Parts: sequence; C-alpha cells; structure tokens
Amino acid sequence: MEEWRFIDFGLVDIRDMMAMDEAILKGDGGNTFFFWTPKKSIILGFFQKADVELNLARCEGYTITRRISGGGIAFSDDRCRQINYGVVGTIDNELFPLDIIESYKQICGVLIDTLVHYDLNAAFRPINDVVVDNKKISGNAQTRWEGKLLQNGTLLLDFDIEEMLRISNIPEEKFLDKKIASIREGLTWLDRELGEERDMEEVKDIIKQKFEERFMVGLKPGTLSKKEKMLTKNLLPKYYSHEWTYR
Amino acid sequence: MATKQGIHKSRGGLIRSFVTSENGIIKDITISGDFFMFPEEALFIILEQLKGTPANHTALRKNIEETYKKENIQSPGTSPSDFAESIMKALEG
Repeated sequence: MEEWRFIDFGLVDIRDMMAMDEAILKGDGGNTFFFWTPKKSIILGFFQKADVELNLARCEGYTITRRISGGGIAFSDDRCRQINYGVVGTIDNELFPLDIIESYKQICGVLIDTLVHYDLNAAFRPINDVVVDNKKISGNAQTRWEGKLLQNGTLLLDFDIEEMLRISNIPEEKFLDKKIASIREGLTWLDRELGEERDMEEVKDIIKQKFEERFMVGLKPGTLSKKEKMLTKNLLPKYYSHEWTYR
Repeated sequence: MATKQGIHKSRGGLIRSFVTSENGIIKDITISGDFFMFPEEALFIILEQLKGTPANHTALRKNIEETYKKENIQSPGTSPSDFAESIMKALEG
C-alpha cells in the first residue's frame, strides 16, 4: 500500500501554522495529511479585509493573520475544541480531481465518513461545507499551486457562536439581518450533536482511519523536510506582518 | 469623490465592493469577501483592469470576463456578472 506522510502539529500559533501550511504546499514532502489545533485566533480568507469583516476594537486577545486560500473567517475561541486539518496532494483526477467542487467533495468525504461513524446525518454542501442535518459543522478552503492542491478545514467539536458574532462585522443591510439568524441556526458542532464531549484524540484517530480508507493509503508519521523548514523560515515574516494581515 | 459600498451575495460567497467613480467612469475598486478564486492573485488584475471602465453593468461584466479568459480564472459559484452586480450596487448606493 502506498504511504503518505502524516503530521500532528498539536496546539499552534496560527501564524506559524500558516507558514508551515504554505511550505508543505510548495515543498518536497509529497502527499501529506496533517492536523493542528489553533490557539485563540482569527484567520482571514485571502480576499477578506480585516477592517471590513471584523469589529477590530473587539478583537483584542486574538491572533489575526491571513491565509493563501479564499473563503471566510476561520474563528477559534479559547475553548480550543476544533480539529483543523490540511491535505496536500498532487492533482491527478482520481484521488484529487481537477474539478474544484469534485475535489472539495472528495476530501470533505473524509469528514462525512467520520460523522457517519458517529451515526450523524452528514452530507457535502457545495461549494465547501460539510453539514449535519443541513447545519454547517465544517468549513473548508482550497488553493492550488503548480499541479498540487492544499485544502484546509475545520471540524467543530465545540464553538462559541455568540463570541464569533461579537467580533464579526455583520453588515446592517436588511437582508443580512436574516444572515445573522441563519448563522446562529445554521451552525452546529460535534459535542452538541452527540450530547456529550468526545475525546479529541479519539475523533482524530477516526478521521485518520477514514482518510486512509477513502484514499486507500497508509499514513506514516513524519516531519517537515529540510526544504520545508527553510521555506517556513522564509514565510514566517509574511504571516507575522501587518501588511499581509491588514492589507 | 466618496467611496461607496455595495454588497452582493453570489452562490460562492459574499462580495463587498468599495467603489469610487467620476463622471460615470470607475476610478478605483477594492473588494472584500469570502468567495473563492483560482488563481487568487488574479483578483488584483481584475480590479486594475476595471479602472477607467464605464460604470454600467454590461461594461463591467465584459471587462471582467476578458480578464477571466486571459488569466484562466475559475471561481466556483461566483461569476463575472456577480462582481459587476456588487459594483453596481455600490454605484447605485
């Protein structure tokens, strides 16, 4: 069986993680699956402006940076009960389809298989969400570079929705009032769905197992290569810079 | 010249436009949103190309479509017409 690299970065500063994320995409480590858990933070999508999307006066205590993929804010509260993952793979039309939505569907399938394992009614909702009974439980974002893809996503185990609304800049437009209600009613998390707290390591093990089954590979623990470490070092100043985050 | 804001929701995400125009011509546009675009940097080319375009939906859409072709842009759930719509909402204030 083919072996792919697996790394669990544990609890991380998102600026360090986003640098490693980009380094894995642009590095020489081959197909890789990795986990991390973000400390209290906000990651802006590539096209989002901090002062437009966030109520910055209320964001004290949050580490903020930007990622290289589009999509919306990835908000992590200090409960730290989110499993974030990354996949880097060579686009080959079989395991990682060229079609963007198909490739989201394929990778999100790992999370769906995991949620189904817990007897939940999970499904893919294009373009980039996984839902349980039509409520979003996982957001995902993909970018591509020289024939490879990088997909990041999160599986919420617990989530402080009121805190997220507090730091967000929700527009006052009328039709967006409905959006606030739909955010509140449209999100869910694993602890709520199962009615109990599951051990995060246990859930990660299931995700890993479902990944191996879906991609028909073995995941072998590894580390960043020399080249990836060098790339990370060079990328760190960007993710720590005011220019990148608040551009 | 005041910057005006427009919001339009496409299937692929929310597009917030900040637009300045003079005598019916686009002077400057910035965009914030949670949509996807591949390659990402192409958005800056789109915005640069829009400077000097007549401020109407058809001209904006055609201009953006041209950049889509030239730069081989894909944006699932979001079309050139969606960007034009967001910009027009700003102009119509």
